[in-house]
Amino acid sequence: MEMHFIFSDKVVLLFDFWSVHSPAGMALSVLVVLLLAVLYESLKFGKAKLLHQALESMPTLTSQQLIEETDQDSSSSESLPVSSTRLRWFSYHFGQSLIHVAQVVIGYFMMLAVMSYNTWIFLGVVLGSAVGYYLAYPLLSLV
Amino acid sequence: MDHSHHMGMNHMDHNSTMAPHHHPTTSASHSHGGGAGHMMMMHMTFYFGFKNVELLFSGLVINTAGEMAGAFVGVFLLAMFYEGLKIARESLLRKSQVSIRYNSMPVPGPNGTILMETHKTVGQQMLSFPHLLQTVLHIIQVVISYFLMLIFMTYNGYLCIAVAAGAGMGYFLFSWKKAVVVDITEHCH
Repeated sequence: MEMHFIFSDKVVLLFDFWSVHSPAGMALSVLVVLLLAVLYESLKFGKAKLLHQALESMPTLTSQQLIEETDQDSSSSESLPVSSTRLRWFSYHFGQSLIHVAQVVIGYFMMLAVMSYNTWIFLGVVLGSAVGYYLAYPLLSLV
Repeated sequence: MDHSHHMGMNHMDHNSTMAPHHHPTTSASHSHGGGAGHMMMMHMTFYFGFKNVELLFSGLVINTAGEMAGAFVGVFLLAMFYEGLKIARESLLRKSQVSIRYNSMPVPGPNGTILMETHKTVGQQMLSFPHLLQTVLHIIQVVISYFLMLIFMTYNGYLCIAVAAGAGMGYFLFSWKKAVVVDITEHCH
C-alpha cells in the first residue's frame, strides 16, 4: 500500500466485497462515501432533535426538583409521575446513546475510507462533510 | 492463493471476484505478503480472527481466544474511559469558569451614533491550576483517541466492536448524570 494520495480506479474499501475496479464503480463508491459523510453530519442534528423532543414531551419539572430527585433516589412523595418521567428520560438517553454509537462507528468508517489513500474517495468524504454541514446547520436552529 | 485479496493491492484485483469473500481468513494468512514484492502486514478490510493479531505495541500479540477476550475487555474499558474523560473535562471546565470579564467598547451605530457594545468573555488564567489540569487531561484525551483510532485501524472485527460498544456504554453511563443536571437547567444551550 502506497502511503501517499493516488488517483486510481481500483480500490478495496472497508469490506472484502467492496472492491472497485472501474470508473463507474468508483463514481458509485464516491457517491456512497459522500452520503456516509452527510449521514455523519446529520446525526448531530438527530441528537439535537431527540433532545428537543424529549424536553417537550416531558412535564416541566423545576431544576430544583430534579436535582433533589436525583440525589435521593429512595424516598419521593410523588412516586408515580416521577417514575414515568424517569422512564421516559431513560429511553431518551438510551436513544441518544445509540445515536452516539452510530456516530462513532460512521466516523471511524470515514477515517478508514480516507486511509485507503485514494484521492477520489478522499474528495468524496470532504465534499460529503461539507454538504452535510451545510444542510444540517440551519436545521439545527429550527429545532 | 485467494487470501491475497485482503491486501487491497491493485494488481490482485482479479482474485477478488472469486466467490469465497465471506470466509474469514485467520490473520495467520496475512503474514505471507501477497505478490509483487510488497510485504504487507496489515489488513485493509474487516475480518474476524484472533490468531497473530498485533495490538498497538510490538510485544502485544494476541494468539488465543482467551487473549482476544481479554483484549476485548481492555479495549472496551479504554473506550469507556475515553468517554468519561470527555464528560469529566466538560464539567471541570464549567466549574472552573468563575472569572467573567466584561469588556465594553464603542462601536459606530446607525445614523452616526456611537453604541457601547459589551463583550462577555469567560476564561481562565493561563497559569492557574484548573487550566494546567485541563491541559494535562487534554494530552491524555488526545493520546487515548489516537490509540482508539489505531485499534480500529487493525480492522479486527472483535476489537472494532469493542471500541464501538465501549464508546456507547461510556456515553450512556457518564452522560446520564450530566444530561439530567445540565440539559434541563440550561435551556439556552
